[in-house]
Amino acid sequence: MDKNSITIQDLSLQEITLERLPRLKKLRDLHFDTKPEICLELPRLMTYYMKNLDPPASPERERWRAGNKEDSPELRSGKLNKYILENKRPVIIDGNLLAGTTTTKQIGVILYPHLLGQSIWPELETVSRRKKNPFGITIEEIDELNFEIFPYWMNRTIQEVARKENGNPPCQKLMERIVFFIATKAYCISHTVPDYAAVVERGLLDIINEAKEKELSLGNSSNDKEKRDFYQAAQLSLNGILSYAANLSRLAASMAQEENNPVRKEELLRMSEVCSKVPAQKPATFREAVNAVWICRIALLQENSSIAMSPGRLDQVLYPLYRRDMEQGMSLSEAVELVGCLWLKICDQAPLAPEVSEELFGGSGCNQAITLGGIDMEGKDAVNDLTYVMLRATELLKVRDPNINARYHPEINKKEYLERLCDVNINTGATPCFHNDISAIEALQGQGVTLEHARDYSSVGCVEITSSGRTFAHTGCILMNLPSALELAFFQGKHRLTEDEQIGPVTKSPEDMDSFEEFREVLATQLAWLIDQAVTLNNNFGKAYQKIHPSPMQSAIMEGCMEKGKDVIQGGALYNSSGAAMIGIAEVVDSMTAIEEFVFKKKLISFSELLEAINKNWENYEKLQAMVKTSTEKFGTDSEMAKKNADWLIAFLHNTFQSKENYRGGKYTVGYWTMTNHAGFGALSGALPSGRVKGEPFPSGITPVSGAAPELTPCLNFVANLDHTNIADGHALNLKYTPSTTTVPKFADTVEAFFKMGGLQVQFNIIDRKTLEDARKYPERYPDLFVRVSGYSAYFKDLSPHMQQEIITRAEYHLDTGREVPY
Amino acid sequence: MISLIKGPSFSQPQPLIFDIKRNALEDGPGIRTTLFFKGCHLHCIWCQNPESIDPAPEIGFYPASCIKSGECVNVCKTGACQVENPWRIDREKCDRCGDCVKVCPGRGLRQIGCFYPVEELISILLRDRVFYEVSGGGITLSGGEPTFHMEYISLILQKLKMQGIHTAIQTNGFFDWSEFKAKVLNWVDVIMFDIKLADPKEHLKYTGRKNCLILENLGRLFKERPKDIIPRIPLIPGITATTQNLKAISELFQGLKITRCSLLAYNPIGLSKAENIGKPIPPELSRHMMTPAEEKKCREIFSWAELVGF
Repeated sequence: MDKNSITIQDLSLQEITLERLPRLKKLRDLHFDTKPEICLELPRLMTYYMKNLDPPASPERERWRAGNKEDSPELRSGKLNKYILENKRPVIIDGNLLAGTTTTKQIGVILYPHLLGQSIWPELETVSRRKKNPFGITIEEIDELNFEIFPYWMNRTIQEVARKENGNPPCQKLMERIVFFIATKAYCISHTVPDYAAVVERGLLDIINEAKEKELSLGNSSNDKEKRDFYQAAQLSLNGILSYAANLSRLAASMAQEENNPVRKEELLRMSEVCSKVPAQKPATFREAVNAVWICRIALLQENSSIAMSPGRLDQVLYPLYRRDMEQGMSLSEAVELVGCLWLKICDQAPLAPEVSEELFGGSGCNQAITLGGIDMEGKDAVNDLTYVMLRATELLKVRDPNINARYHPEINKKEYLERLCDVNINTGATPCFHNDISAIEALQGQGVTLEHARDYSSVGCVEITSSGRTFAHTGCILMNLPSALELAFFQGKHRLTEDEQIGPVTKSPEDMDSFEEFREVLATQLAWLIDQAVTLNNNFGKAYQKIHPSPMQSAIMEGCMEKGKDVIQGGALYNSSGAAMIGIAEVVDSMTAIEEFVFKKKLISFSELLEAINKNWENYEKLQAMVKTSTEKFGTDSEMAKKNADWLIAFLHNTFQSKENYRGGKYTVGYWTMTNHAGFGALSGALPSGRVKGEPFPSGITPVSGAAPELTPCLNFVANLDHTNIADGHALNLKYTPSTTTVPKFADTVEAFFKMGGLQVQFNIIDRKTLEDARKYPERYPDLFVRVSGYSAYFKDLSPHMQQEIITRAEYHLDTGREVPY
Repeated sequence: MISLIKGPSFSQPQPLIFDIKRNALEDGPGIRTTLFFKGCHLHCIWCQNPESIDPAPEIGFYPASCIKSGECVNVCKTGACQVENPWRIDREKCDRCGDCVKVCPGRGLRQIGCFYPVEELISILLRDRVFYEVSGGGITLSGGEPTFHMEYISLILQKLKMQGIHTAIQTNGFFDWSEFKAKVLNWVDVIMFDIKLADPKEHLKYTGRKNCLILENLGRLFKERPKDIIPRIPLIPGITATTQNLKAISELFQGLKITRCSLLAYNPIGLSKAENIGKPIPPELSRHMMTPAEEKKCREIFSWAELVGF
């Protein structure tokens, strides 16, 4: 029998329903009924350890150790990891088949004190009562944060360490202006896919032994100290995981003893047995494998932020044991149940969001991407029965996290698979998104990834593509507000929001420009300057991590680090790129094109008059605004002018970023996805020559401006014809379809045609405007309505008003006609 | 959107196209581009494209896009454009010169119908070629009535066939058979053929023509290309969607040994389009979509046939 042959008869697994899986139904209801609570366990453990046990932190110990060499940052992190995991409370909280919780709560919000945990400090009193995304917290916990935890970390965060090391550099001050770019490392570095294949194929003991052997094979010379420290740190971290698993096993056993219900008793006993074996040993069953992945995931989230920490190709990693168990008599519905349990576990924590970032990142989940299907490393069809099991679990649960990404190879994968993906998309309303294997693999090969490794890519966070388990890429390290570069180009390096302050270099005034090319030069100058600032800041932050927070646990579960004896933060992984996301591309292209068309080509208006119009937010310039807005030269249409400008901009950004090196020796790649930043950056930005008025959300991802590209096929043609090798950090083409169940084959054909023309990624919101408007009015009626926002999913009810408005007015393609539904 | 002002001026008697609908999923198999021609021999009172009947260019007014710039009033030579008129144009006075469209900044006023040189049209149609190939789709000629412009569509169809593109036509059947056979039939893959009313008097009353030629052509076509014809019946409440009419058509089809057909549920979109071009709305037309129950009732009459939907 072929390795991946499909044995499932009904690919949609219609017979498996939530009604027939009461456990999943109950857990799902619980998930939607639970208000997230801030969890202090991790910051408490970290603070206690750092204050009392971390050697350099205690003056007495330091004196005692005088003369001894100080621990390296890696070793300090390794010891911290071990302490945290040994002392982390084992929790078995609900009827889930998997033991352990990311926090001590049903749904917990982790405060990473060395990252942006403190951003919630001024809001501790109000966070439980705020309207959007309230988080529970007790008075005692508030006191503990106020007096014990936050004061210690005030000057010890990545942000503050980087500031001090670099003398509060201009780039960091620039970021604090918010309107130009955000360097997210102060928040997280975890945009990566761990090597779960190693966990499932080897078990942690085997990895620990490898580290030990490597350590012992080193000489005693001080030259090898760094490596030795790294190997020790890796062992300490993994041993911490084993302690945590053992604690879970003991807890399950003691709970079993007290359990009267024989069914639950049996479950707990089995749980105890499973946790006593994995992840130490190589799992022998599907259930053990799922548990092993889950326990490692909990552990990794104690070391690094949960944002975009992505599980990767679970349908590949778990398939051999799934198949083994199916051959031993596991039923399909048991498989769906177990997968569903994992999905619900993955959303057992929510990201911390202070009120301000709620505006910018409002309603986002943690973007933990799972990738399904596509081809394998040999180039063969990788879609298997487990792919369909996972799709069914996704369809039944309709939860925000994990973020499901489907790969499709138009020449190798079967059409029935694509049709099933479309079917799930229609039934869930927003997931999965579609990645084109041909283009994604080419884009990765363009970055020096080998063909085999490129074929083994998975999506990270929103839509970024990296080779699984061997890439430490922080694919979302820079979020850049592209239209802010337009502002700088219009006003000789000044921005309307920061008024007279000289921000960027002084460039030529538009009044003196004789050609469009001249304007483009100025724009390039300002962009290059902004990129330089953002990259410098990201590298500063990276170096701060190297100094105070390496990730030996992540490194132990990542291809390359063991070989090199290096932490991921030092470039230990096989691939080491950094990814920058550009926000507002369509708005910038439409603005450039409007300038080219109306100022330089048709000469209907002078450049200064156009700038006057946007300075007045089009007041008294309504005719000009209408003319610009109804021009057919737009991003996402047949316009050759817009295409030329988009090609120029994308090539320029790619080349400029590629010329920069990150602190780990890797290159910068560029992507076009925005999470919800397009709304936040839009709110902070003024009117633009595209016809946009002040404060409007920017279009998301690589999506055309709402209303500018009303037809679906020209939009798909436009995006498909962009050079995807210049978009190696992925893009999100976010289109909205009104629901229709009769058009699955034509829907699938639409995706297929887009991919055959070279399109990289596309995602559809299957939702009608009426539903959204009702949901805006009565959020309580739609607790599970979720919408995909440029690369990830969010619950509609959690979105900021800006975002809700944006979703409602975004170009809506009618599935039946492909026309925009009139509003 | 396509730019609406192009090609020669308003006065030339050329085949005009009033819309090019891309990603059309309901006008034949697969993903298609549908061309809507202006001009029709029939004048069905329910026409869902009322702007398609007159072969000459028309001017449409779309209030939602109007920013009240007043430019149209300034250039109007006949005084037809009036800001205070909610429908903007006094159609009695308008001579359709088109000047107002040219100065309108926000596409509140639009020219309906423009001429495309054949090569330009073909190049637009081929832009979505990959969509056609993947889905088994292609081009559909619709209207108005495509056979109103027999020479032009003959050229278009031949060029498309040379490119290997699947072609379909939606016709009212009111054409000269020998001309149709010589110029069109060989280059179309699917013919969607509308049958509205069985009774010739009723047909005359509601469409302006008797149905004898149409029924004759249906018979001839069915003899020639039985597999490629899909007869379609537009369901107009109270007019065509009566038990009596549908039963009569049903018998007619069975007599011809036709095995499949399409029933097109009524939609009132045409009414809003009529307002845009200042056409009066016939009072006998319903303002609501058909209910599923009403549709079902009509379907039952054709329970013997395979009902085709795209």
